[in-house]
Amino acid sequence: MSAIDPVPLVSLADIIVGLSLGSRLFLIAVGLSLIFGVLGVLNFAHGGLYMIGAYLTLVVVGIGSGYFWLGVVMAALGVGVIGVALEILTLRPLEDRLENDTDQLLVTFGAVLIIHEGVRTIFGSQSYTLSPPEYLDYSIVLQSGQIGVYRLVVIGFALAVMLGLWLFITRTYFGSLVRGTASDREMAAMLGVNVRRLYTGVFFMGSVLAGLGGALSAPLQSMSPALGDQIIIDAFIVVVIGGLGSISGAFVGAMFIGLAQSLGPQFISSGSIAIPFLAMVLVLLFRPRGLFGGVAE
Amino acid sequence: MSSESSVANRVRHAADEVRAGWTPQRYGVLLFGILLAAGMGPRFQVFLLTEFMIVALFALGFNLLFGYTGLLSFGHGMFYAGGAYGLAIVLKEVGPAIEAYLGAGLSGGVSLLIGAIVGILLVTIIAVPVGWLSVRMEEIYFALITLAFGMLVYSTIIQNPLDLTNGTDGIVILLGNLNIAGLEIRFGARRTFYYLTLTIFGLLTFGMYRVINSPFGMVCQAIRESPERTGAIGVDVRRHRWAAFIISAVFVGVAGVLRAGLAGVASPELSHWSTSAIAVIATVIGGASFFAGPIIGAFVFLYLRWGISRVPTLEAYWEFFFGLLIIGTVLYFKAGATGGLLALRGRASALLKARAHTRGERE
Repeated sequence: MSAIDPVPLVSLADIIVGLSLGSRLFLIAVGLSLIFGVLGVLNFAHGGLYMIGAYLTLVVVGIGSGYFWLGVVMAALGVGVIGVALEILTLRPLEDRLENDTDQLLVTFGAVLIIHEGVRTIFGSQSYTLSPPEYLDYSIVLQSGQIGVYRLVVIGFALAVMLGLWLFITRTYFGSLVRGTASDREMAAMLGVNVRRLYTGVFFMGSVLAGLGGALSAPLQSMSPALGDQIIIDAFIVVVIGGLGSISGAFVGAMFIGLAQSLGPQFISSGSIAIPFLAMVLVLLFRPRGLFGGVAE
Repeated sequence: MSSESSVANRVRHAADEVRAGWTPQRYGVLLFGILLAAGMGPRFQVFLLTEFMIVALFALGFNLLFGYTGLLSFGHGMFYAGGAYGLAIVLKEVGPAIEAYLGAGLSGGVSLLIGAIVGILLVTIIAVPVGWLSVRMEEIYFALITLAFGMLVYSTIIQNPLDLTNGTDGIVILLGNLNIAGLEIRFGARRTFYYLTLTIFGLLTFGMYRVINSPFGMVCQAIRESPERTGAIGVDVRRHRWAAFIISAVFVGVAGVLRAGLAGVASPELSHWSTSAIAVIATVIGGASFFAGPIIGAFVFLYLRWGISRVPTLEAYWEFFFGLLIIGTVLYFKAGATGGLLALRGRASALLKARAHTRGERE
């Protein structure tokens, strides 16, 4: 036995951190992918919605003196309502220009600027932090490091959302309408689906998921108005790697990037921030439908 | 002999076009004249107008790809940064050697020129492979891959490769002097740099006008309208988009060289997607379907931002207004500010005609 105990390169604690980062990415990317899969819109403002979710939680917890879960629910629903307003005000007027993806990207980019500046106006440029609820605010101490219990809760939520969405889309009536409209909008409309309302409904769902992601990860990160701009780029990387429009792809892509963020620096000392972008470029070039599928659902 | 007469013919032809009513040529000459005079204005305005010309060049280059070829790039900041870092690295690494070799008299001008050339070469070296790979994508996939390439350049600059880019701090730039026969030109002086920028802005705007109105530019517009049909008549769409990508990048690279000279620093943020977004904002607001759109958009962008910053209650909230402007323009008024100005001109000339008509009737 050597004098120094060999430190394992990958510890359980690091993996848990990676999976919790991945869960946070999944919650934002899944809504982005869902909206793209059904509406064909790449929602640039999705990071902004996520950020609003985080700030709304902060506000509700602040006012309600500590009801964290009330904050999470209010944030998710509040962001859903904001998302619906966004869809009706900016995307619906473009419905006869469906062939032009770039117009839709541009209006949602306009919304990015409005949300960013709106948050800065209301909350200022300083950063805020939020603690998880007290009964979750402790760590399990292992030999290899500490594991925050709250991180496990976030991972559980991501798994629950994944399962719930899968059941919803494959097992319910509304889910079959969503699938049908995603694969052929005109045929669905002809068979009596109210495509307009369905689009708004899907946008609501995607926004609620973004709000939920922002709310749940509020205790994992500090909040500043730049949060939305940062997370949307990560979310773009995730959905590209997983395949735009694919929900299971978003899950795998998010976990991949999350683990890369927590484990990567131990293997590659420099250049680790370039890797996700390099991966995005390579996937776009060689597997534009994503690494894990090309399934529209 | 014949070439001389053809030059004379061209000048005469151009002069005819300026005289022949409100042609683009006349607007160009007018704008150039106003900018020439404005260089004598208040110092802050000179600074703002220099920035306007640089942003206008940035957006003009971007719009060859967006408005004229139909490809929305969210990564043109990498070429802005390429030009800036080319100049900065030459001034930092080679500048002292040039000064030792040439002496203080000429070195400032020579190193600026070499820096600009290196910046443009650097941009071309990036743009050739990046463009070749990117033009395989269309629509949002093109936007995504250019965004990824831009961020890849951004993260590379931050990593400080070969100890050249100085990481997140960027490189400070000191423009030198030119000293010939007792006449000293300080490039860092505001008015000098203004006229230098104006010269390059004038030449490149004219150059871009020629590119867009050349057969090449026409094919670009055909590709924008319908890549399938343009391909069907025998045009290699991908190669054409690639060429447009490279030309567009070079224009942005020149803007980047000037930007670095004006700001006195080359920083990694130039390659960040939020810098690329400036060209998008200016072009969309100005009207992407017009040649003058990016120029007018850049003017609106900088002066609106400045105007908002003068109102204390609105200060620093300029992004909010640009968000609203972009949404409004894309949804309801695709022609942008340039289209608005043209509509105003149409209304005014109709009004004048009607007035002349009633006067004629009275007489």
